[in-house]
This record gives sequence, C-alpha cells and structure tokens, in this order.
Amino acid sequence: MKMTLNNLVGISLERITPHDDTINRLLTAAERNISDSKISAVSVENRFDAAYKAIMQIANAALQANGYRTLTSRPGHHQTMLQSLSQTLGIERQTAVILDAMRKQRNIADYSGDPVPEGT
Amino acid sequence: MSIASLLFSEYRRRVLGLLLLHPEARYHVREIARLTCTTPGTLNRELVKLANVGLLHREVSGKQVYYYANRTFSIFEELVSILKKTSGLIDVVANTLATLADKIDNAFIYGSMARNTENSGSDVDVLLIGNIGFAEAVAALHPAQEIIGREINPKVYQKTEWKKLVDKKNPFVIEILKNPKIFIIGDENDIK
Repeated sequence: MKMTLNNLVGISLERITPHDDTINRLLTAAERNISDSKISAVSVENRFDAAYKAIMQIANAALQANGYRTLTSRPGHHQTMLQSLSQTLGIERQTAVILDAMRKQRNIADYSGDPVPEGT
Repeated sequence: MSIASLLFSEYRRRVLGLLLLHPEARYHVREIARLTCTTPGTLNRELVKLANVGLLHREVSGKQVYYYANRTFSIFEELVSILKKTSGLIDVVANTLATLADKIDNAFIYGSMARNTENSGSDVDVLLIGNIGFAEAVAALHPAQEIIGREINPKVYQKTEWKKLVDKKNPFVIEILKNPKIFIIGDENDIK
C-alpha cells in the first residue's frame, strides 16, 4: 500500500485547516534560516542547524498547506515531516534519502558533540 | 581482532565477500581488484587457490579470466551466511564506494562496529576523507544499508578540513585516532 498523508492521520499526523498566516510565518523563518546558514563567521554546526531548521520549516509549511500537521506528541515527527515531502512537494527519492541522512547527522551532532563537516 | 579476520586473510575475505555475496555475477580479475580495492597480483594468487579447491569457478574467455562463485560447493550456503554476518560489511561498503574511489583518499569504519562492541541495532559509522560531497556519499552508501541490514552514517571531510582538526587536536578526531578502525581505503598513517 502506498503511504498517503491521510493514512497517517491519527498515527503521526492530524488534519487541520490551513492558515495563510502560519504558512507565511514558516516560510519567512525558513528564508531567514537559509540566509543564516550562509554566514561563514559562525561554526559549521550552527550553519548546519540553521539549514536543517529551514528544511523542517519548509516541510511543515507544505504539510500545513495540504491540511495536515505532525502530532508532536509522538516520537519521530522530524522523520514524518521529511517523509511527507515526497507527497507535498514531490521531491525525489534520492533527495529524501539525503535529507534523512542530514537528520541523522544532526541527532548525532546534538548529543555527542561530534563536529559537523563543512560539506554537510 | 575481528572474527572475520581470524577466519580469513584480508584478501580472501574481500574476494569471498564480493563473489559469494554476488553469486549471480561473473567478474574478471581487474574488476575484482577494483571492486575490492586490492592489487591484481596478490589477488590473482588468491583466486587461483580458491578456484583450485572448487569454491570458485574459473572461466577463460578470449584474453580475460573470469571468476564466479560455485553455488554447489559443499559449504557454499554456510560461507555466505558467515560472510554476510562478518566481513560482508567491509566488502559491501568497499563495493559501494568503488565508484567514488578516485575521489576518496581515506575511508574507514569507526565506532562500535570497529570496536566490536556493536549490537543488532548499531549503525555503521563510516568516515570519508577526500574530494567528495556529503550528498554524494549518502547516495552511494544508501543501497549498502539494505544489504548489510544496518544504517550507515557517513561523515565526509575534505582533506584540508581533516588536517586542520588533527592539528587543533579536536576531541572527536583524537578519539577516532586512538580507537580501533577498519580501513577500506588508505591506512592509519594517512590520517594522522
């Protein structure tokens, strides 16, 4: 069975009425984070964090525009958010794989203090 | 010492990992050398030995000599099972990196898999040093996850970036340097 967003309602998503304000706020924040991620004066970790936040905000905006949001009470909502991108924005499988790898990198860097390499 | 290196020599392990875990494929010697990151001379002697005992089939076609697994060998299934659980890991990672080999100066496995302290849920931590992008590494390594049944976490550093971290005695790097690693490309001396 193909995973549709509707199948995930009650599991990791809930239905909402989209609000332009919320979506705009997310997209504005994403833009800000993208420009922050290009500031070379701060550490690679923080640039990576900003870029990662932007991805989440864009994924969230797309999800909300489609009338859904993640159940933040459930674990793994970052993963859900990333997975929804193939449905909401039609991203390719390869891109999804890379975004998921970024999510894992961030998890590791957050608790272990491992440095984030520049290329990430 | 890992169980795989106790059972098989380095070359034997890599060769068997490739040929026995891909029994449908037929490879010529240079191809095997490239895919396993080994040198053809030593490799050739190894292949001859393995063919002599009947574990591999040898086939001459024109100027090329091909080798492939003998699936009817008495302990074929058992060996496959051992390889999958042990050295299959290194070979699989080496195979998937083969397409990027000319861009990678060093590749090694670190963390619990290298220390032999992994559990069934442990990821495979792979560190790559070279002129290669994170997305490229992720894309290349992704298919290997399914084969080895573990997630692979690549960390990718440019050579200059790595050197800088070594010089600054970055704690993460120092820890890597002093802990066990399984080298796929290059060796310990290259990364100090």
